[in-house]
Amino acid sequence: MAEQPIALRSPKHRVERRAIGLWALQSLIGFGVLAGLLTAAYLIVDGARSWLGPVLVVVAVWGAVVTLVMPLWRYAVHRWEVTEDAVYAVSGWVVREWRVVPLSRIQTVDTIRGPLEQAMSLATLVVTTASSRGAVKVPGIDAQVAARVAEELTQITQRTPGDAT
Amino acid sequence: MSAEPAVTDTPDPASDEPWQRLDTRVVWVDAAKTLLSMVPAGIAIAFFGAEIDWGTMGPILGATAFGVLGGIADLLRWVKTRYRITDQYVERRTGLLVRRHRSIRRDRIRSVDTSARFRHKLAGLRVVTVGAGQHSAAGEAALVLDAVRTETAERLRQELLYGVTPAPAADAVDAAEPAEPRPEGRVLARLARSWVFYNMFSIWAFLMAAGLLWGTYWLLRMFGLDPAGFVRGLADWDAIGTAWTIVIAVAAVGAVGVVGLAVDFFTENWRFVLERVPGERGTVLRTTQGLFKTREVNRDDNRLRGVQIAEPLLWRWIGMADTSVVSTGLSIWSMTPSAQILPRGPISVARRVAAEVLETTPSPVDRPLRPHPRRALRRRAGWALATTGVVTGLLAWLTTLIDGLPGGVWLAGLGLLPVGLALAVVAYRSLGHAVADGYLVVRSGAWARTTTALQSRAVVGVTFRQSLLQRRLRLATVEVTTAAGMGRYSALDVASADAVELATAAAPGLLDPFLTTSVATAAAEAPDPVQAQARP
Repeated sequence: MAEQPIALRSPKHRVERRAIGLWALQSLIGFGVLAGLLTAAYLIVDGARSWLGPVLVVVAVWGAVVTLVMPLWRYAVHRWEVTEDAVYAVSGWVVREWRVVPLSRIQTVDTIRGPLEQAMSLATLVVTTASSRGAVKVPGIDAQVAARVAEELTQITQRTPGDAT
Repeated sequence: MSAEPAVTDTPDPASDEPWQRLDTRVVWVDAAKTLLSMVPAGIAIAFFGAEIDWGTMGPILGATAFGVLGGIADLLRWVKTRYRITDQYVERRTGLLVRRHRSIRRDRIRSVDTSARFRHKLAGLRVVTVGAGQHSAAGEAALVLDAVRTETAERLRQELLYGVTPAPAADAVDAAEPAEPRPEGRVLARLARSWVFYNMFSIWAFLMAAGLLWGTYWLLRMFGLDPAGFVRGLADWDAIGTAWTIVIAVAAVGAVGVVGLAVDFFTENWRFVLERVPGERGTVLRTTQGLFKTREVNRDDNRLRGVQIAEPLLWRWIGMADTSVVSTGLSIWSMTPSAQILPRGPISVARRVAAEVLETTPSPVDRPLRPHPRRALRRRAGWALATTGVVTGLLAWLTTLIDGLPGGVWLAGLGLLPVGLALAVVAYRSLGHAVADGYLVVRSGAWARTTTALQSRAVVGVTFRQSLLQRRLRLATVEVTTAAGMGRYSALDVASADAVELATAAAPGLLDPFLTTSVATAAAEAPDPVQAQARP
């Protein structure tokens, strides 16, 4: 990450190392369910085997590649930062996203914790604006850090008047 | 802070404002509608001695049952619906089995629209729709009062939009008086008859004709006529031959559809007027239109954030355009296209109206746009090639799987290539962006070239997006998010070296703390293409 593809510096904070495991598990479970369903169909429906076979192979290979590559890649990319004026986060792997939202336009700040995240004491920070498409999601940060940041941001945004549109 | 939703399901506890019913005339309209729905079946049975069997009478009996049930449901709805307007909320209770309570905070109300079907007009009723900029995706819907008296509707509109103090209940007698004359507005556009040509020719013509012909066929069958035999007797179809028969049939159906669309256009847009009218809280953009069903939509100018002009590809040569406003609180996905401020019409009118709506000269949508790098064309051509490859591969795979398929089917996949490449060129040529006079203007689209001008002050966030391929081509997509319209507007595939500069121009100051130092100085200067090329 020596050279930035666009002219923005990286945000300060990396996500937790545990997030690598989280993403790997999520990918494994997702592809596992899909492959399981396909295998079941393969075993039950005789007539469909001729075309389900190749599909199953493609899904299995694709799943393995994604599970191995995606978490490390995401860990290298994902970064976040909260300044006095804005929330700034970089995410993605094949498609990378840089998102900046000014604090004055923030409507709600939430932390979301799925079952896997709870087990790993991780959380996803979700910052929403008045735009239906403008939410900034920062997955894979420590649950306590996320709660603290959410608390701070909520206090700041409550001081901002107007409906932030 | 507005974490609190605009539309809630909890009543306002702090008010003892009495609840009101919908207008009693709704009941009479329902009764009349129910009776009317029985008339066709009655006539068919009484005068034409039609047998009651499902073969011929099926559709008409179905329609009758539908009409009667609808009437009863409407009656129940009237019985169970109450509404009231308190100091802070508009509330409505409804529902027979599932009681629903809906309230909208009055300071969140963004539009109050009235509409009327033909039956409403006859009875002097109006349907009032109170919108609060709800997110349709979140399952929130507007609050609809169906229906109240025309005077009541007008009073509600004044009250909710312009904050006229709520009339006490004793004023109910006065409500029968005609509403005071409305303030005169500045007319921006009126319906021109020639616009019908932009709305007649569409693939929908065939669908419309199919519906019309099917309905007519059944109607005639019910009265004991034989439309199929009549058509068969029109000409000696065997002599004409199958090919010509098909050509004639398609042409005839198309002609019916085209006429149908023309009639539909006029009934929908009859006496269409777009005007800017003064209101208590600034001006509103108002459209009124419709012959049998009149529709009036008011768009608060305080919520106006920009305009959008879309030009469908196949009709760009005659300059066809759809014009809509980008505004907070007007849902793009709602059933009534309230964001659209003009019927489909010529681009010249669209541009003029856009300029007058924005009141900015020169109009942002008329500005010359900066084209995007040629590398963006390579990306689009790459997509065309990839799509062709995948489709061809899938077809080839299918031919090995399915025995009946001829071996050369995969060649059809190759036919996608010229179409895909042509679309790639069209899409590339559409690309453009500009920042001027406080507006961000972006243009893109293959099937519909869409130009959007969005006010910079409406930008609530900036997103850059870059795939691996884009990174190799040194391109990036700049997206601004906003509370208005579609929620986001993108400049696709700008040179990655210019991406931050564009975003900084569109949302000044937002990105300053995050600029890399080398570019923070370079961004201040004019963009240098040589430097952009030199970037790895």
